[in-house]
Amino acid sequence: MDLDNDVPMEDVEEQETHTSPTSISSSIKPSNSSKTITSQQQDSATTSAKSSSQLDSSSIGLLDSWIEKLSKCEPLNESDVKKLCDMAIEVLQFEENVQPVQVPVTICGDVHGQFHDLMELFKIGGPCPDTNYLFMGDYVDRGYYSVETVSYLVCMKVRFPNRITILRGNHESRQITQVYGFYDECLRKYGSATVWKLFTDLFDYFPITALVDNKIFCLHGGLSPMIETIDQVRELNRIQEVPHEGPMCDLLWSDPDDRGGWGISPRGAGFTFGQDISEQFNHTNDLSLIARAHQLVMEGFSWSHQESVVTIFSAPNYCYRCGNQAAIMEVDEQHNRQFLQYDPSVRPGEPTVTRKTPDYFL
Amino acid sequence: MIPINRIYTKNDIEIWKNSQIHEDILKFITDTQEAIDGKTNGTDCEISNTVEKLLKVLDHVSEAIERHPVVYEKDVSRFGKIEFKDFYKDVEKNSENWLSEISNESLDEISAYFNESWGNYSRIDYGSGHELNFICFLYCLKQLGLISAQDYPAVILKVFTKYIFIMRQLQKIYWLEPAGSHGVWGLDDYHFLPFLYGASQLSSHPHLKPKSIHNSELVEMFADQYMYFECINFINNIKTVNNGNNEKLSLRWHSPMLDDISTAKNWTKVKEGMVKMYNVEVLNKLPIIQHFKFGELIKCPDEIPEHEESEIDEVGHGHDHLNTWGDCCGIKIPSAIAASESLKRSGKNQIPFD
Repeated sequence: MDLDNDVPMEDVEEQETHTSPTSISSSIKPSNSSKTITSQQQDSATTSAKSSSQLDSSSIGLLDSWIEKLSKCEPLNESDVKKLCDMAIEVLQFEENVQPVQVPVTICGDVHGQFHDLMELFKIGGPCPDTNYLFMGDYVDRGYYSVETVSYLVCMKVRFPNRITILRGNHESRQITQVYGFYDECLRKYGSATVWKLFTDLFDYFPITALVDNKIFCLHGGLSPMIETIDQVRELNRIQEVPHEGPMCDLLWSDPDDRGGWGISPRGAGFTFGQDISEQFNHTNDLSLIARAHQLVMEGFSWSHQESVVTIFSAPNYCYRCGNQAAIMEVDEQHNRQFLQYDPSVRPGEPTVTRKTPDYFL
Repeated sequence: MIPINRIYTKNDIEIWKNSQIHEDILKFITDTQEAIDGKTNGTDCEISNTVEKLLKVLDHVSEAIERHPVVYEKDVSRFGKIEFKDFYKDVEKNSENWLSEISNESLDEISAYFNESWGNYSRIDYGSGHELNFICFLYCLKQLGLISAQDYPAVILKVFTKYIFIMRQLQKIYWLEPAGSHGVWGLDDYHFLPFLYGASQLSSHPHLKPKSIHNSELVEMFADQYMYFECINFINNIKTVNNGNNEKLSLRWHSPMLDDISTAKNWTKVKEGMVKMYNVEVLNKLPIIQHFKFGELIKCPDEIPEHEESEIDEVGHGHDHLNTWGDCCGIKIPSAIAASESLKRSGKNQIPFD
C-alpha cells in the first residue's frame, strides 16, 4: 500500500507568508447593482449626505474595490488594511459613546469571524446600504474568517457611515483577541502581527453603545452598577483598551440574569443584572428595550426580564459546531419588531488559505 | 499539604518559566514521550505493581461514571450535563481511599492533582490545564519513588491511554464544554498530550506520514494503536458530519492547525514541535497556569510572592484578580458532541456543521 499519495499537498508552503497579489488599480469599477443606493433611499438619508460627501471619488472607488474583493472572502493586503483603518478612524472618532441611530434599522449580534454566515445575514436582512444595520460587536475570534469579516464591516462603515453602525464587543480588545483566535489568525494569514495591531488600535474608536430613536438602548453586554443614566455613558472616555473593570468594561461584559439585583459574573468581568435593574434603567431613561448580544442563544434571539431585554446572536452553528440558529431583529418606522432567523450558509468549497507548516514544526 | 494556586501575575509567570520545577515537569513529559518512541498502544511492556494499581484506580473512575447516568434535561439543554457534578463529587470523595492502595504518603496532595484531572466542577468543562493535572499526578508518583523510568512505557501506553479513554467517555456522556476555546484556531477542543505522545509513537513508522491524517480510512484503521490517530478519528466522528450531499468535510475547515501540522516533513518534526508548542502554549500561558497548583511535591518557586487571600477565590477568577480575564470570556459553548448528539436525537441533520 502506498501511503504517500493519498492527499495532494502541492500547496504546502513552508517559509514565506502567502500574500495574494492585489492590483487595486485594475479592479476599480462600479460596484454591483445591489450595493448601489437607490434614489429613494438617498432622499430618506438626509443625514448621510454630509459624511458621504467627505468621501472623494477616488476613496469611493478604492472602498468599492475592497468591498468587492472582500465579498469574495479574499483578505485585503497589509497596506490596504492600513489605509482602511486610517479612513475608519476619521469616521469613528467623531461618533458618540451613545451613537444615535434612526429607524428603520436591523439589529445584529455576534458574528465571530463566520464570514459566509455574515453574507447570509445580508441576504436575509437585505443588502447594505438599502437596509440600515446596527451590529453590536464581536466580529472577531473563534471563526476562520475574522480578518475578512472585520475588514468587510469596517469597509462598509467607511463607505456608508450613516447606514451602518458598528459597536464594540468585548472581543474587540487586544487582550481577548490574543487568547481567542484573531491574533493567531492574523499571524497565520499575514505572517506578522501588523494587521492585528492595526485593527486592535482601531477598535479603541468603536462606539460602545447606540440609541435607536431614543427608545432602544443597544450595546454588546449589559448594564453597569456605575451607570444609572445614558448621559453617564456619554461622559466616559471610550478611546482606550477595554478596561478590566469599571463602567466601560461592564457595558461590554455584563449579562442579564434570573436573579434580581446585581450579581458577580461567572465570566470574571462585568456583572449580572436582574429584572429589577433592567426595569429601573428603562424607566429612568424612558426606554422601551435594551438590545444586547454577548450570549449564545439557541434560537438566535431570546427575551428576558419580561421583554425589557433582548439577546441577539448572529453566528449560526457557532464555532462550526454548536448547532444554534442565528437571528437579527428588524425595527421599522413604527417601532414594530420582527426577528429573522437563519441557519448556517452552505460552505463554498475548501478554505483558500494556503497550508503552512507552523514554526514549531519546521 | 493540599496544593494551591500561586501564579497570578505576569511577573509570577516569568519566574515560573525560568524555574527548576518548570524544567523538571517538562523533562518528565519529554522523558515519557521518548519512552514510547515507535511503540504502539498494544506494545507489550512491563507492568509494575504500581501500574497495576493505577489501572485499578482508573477502573474505579469508570465505575463512578456508571453510578451517575444523565437523567435531567437529557435531550433538552446542549450545555454540560449537571450529573457531571455528581460524578465529580463521587471521585473527590473516594479518590483518597482509592489512591491509598498506591501510597499513604502525601495522599491529600496526589489526590488533589488526580481530582483536578477530570475537569472543572462548577463550569462542567475540560481543557489542557486539566490534562496537565493528570501528568502532575504521575509526576508526584515519580517523586515519591513509586514509578521509575522503566515504568514510563506502561505509564503512557496503558495508564495515560486509559485516562484518555475515560476522558472521552466523560466528554461524550456529560457533554463537557471545551475550556477556553480558541475556536477553529486551537489544536483541539480538549486535549494536547495525546498529540505529543502520539507523534512519538509514529516517529519511526515506515509508511504512516503526518499527511496520512487526511486519509480517514487509515485513521480509523490505526486509531486504537496510535494516540494521534485516535484524536483525529475522534474529531472526524464529532465534527465531520454529512452535509446532505453525503460529502465529508475536511479538517481544513474546523481544524486548520492540525491541517497545517500535517505538512511537517516527518513525525520527528511533529514530535519535537509538539514539545515546543506545549511549552509555549500550555506551560507558559497565564490563563492556563493561573489554575496550576503547588504543594510539597511540586513546589512553588520561592521567588513567587504570596498574594492576598482576597485575590484568590474559589474558581480562581474573582473580580479582584490581578491576572487577565482572558481565560474565561465565559460564554457557554456546547461541545461538538452535544451538538451532534442533539441533532441526531431531533432527527434534524440538514444543518451542516464542521
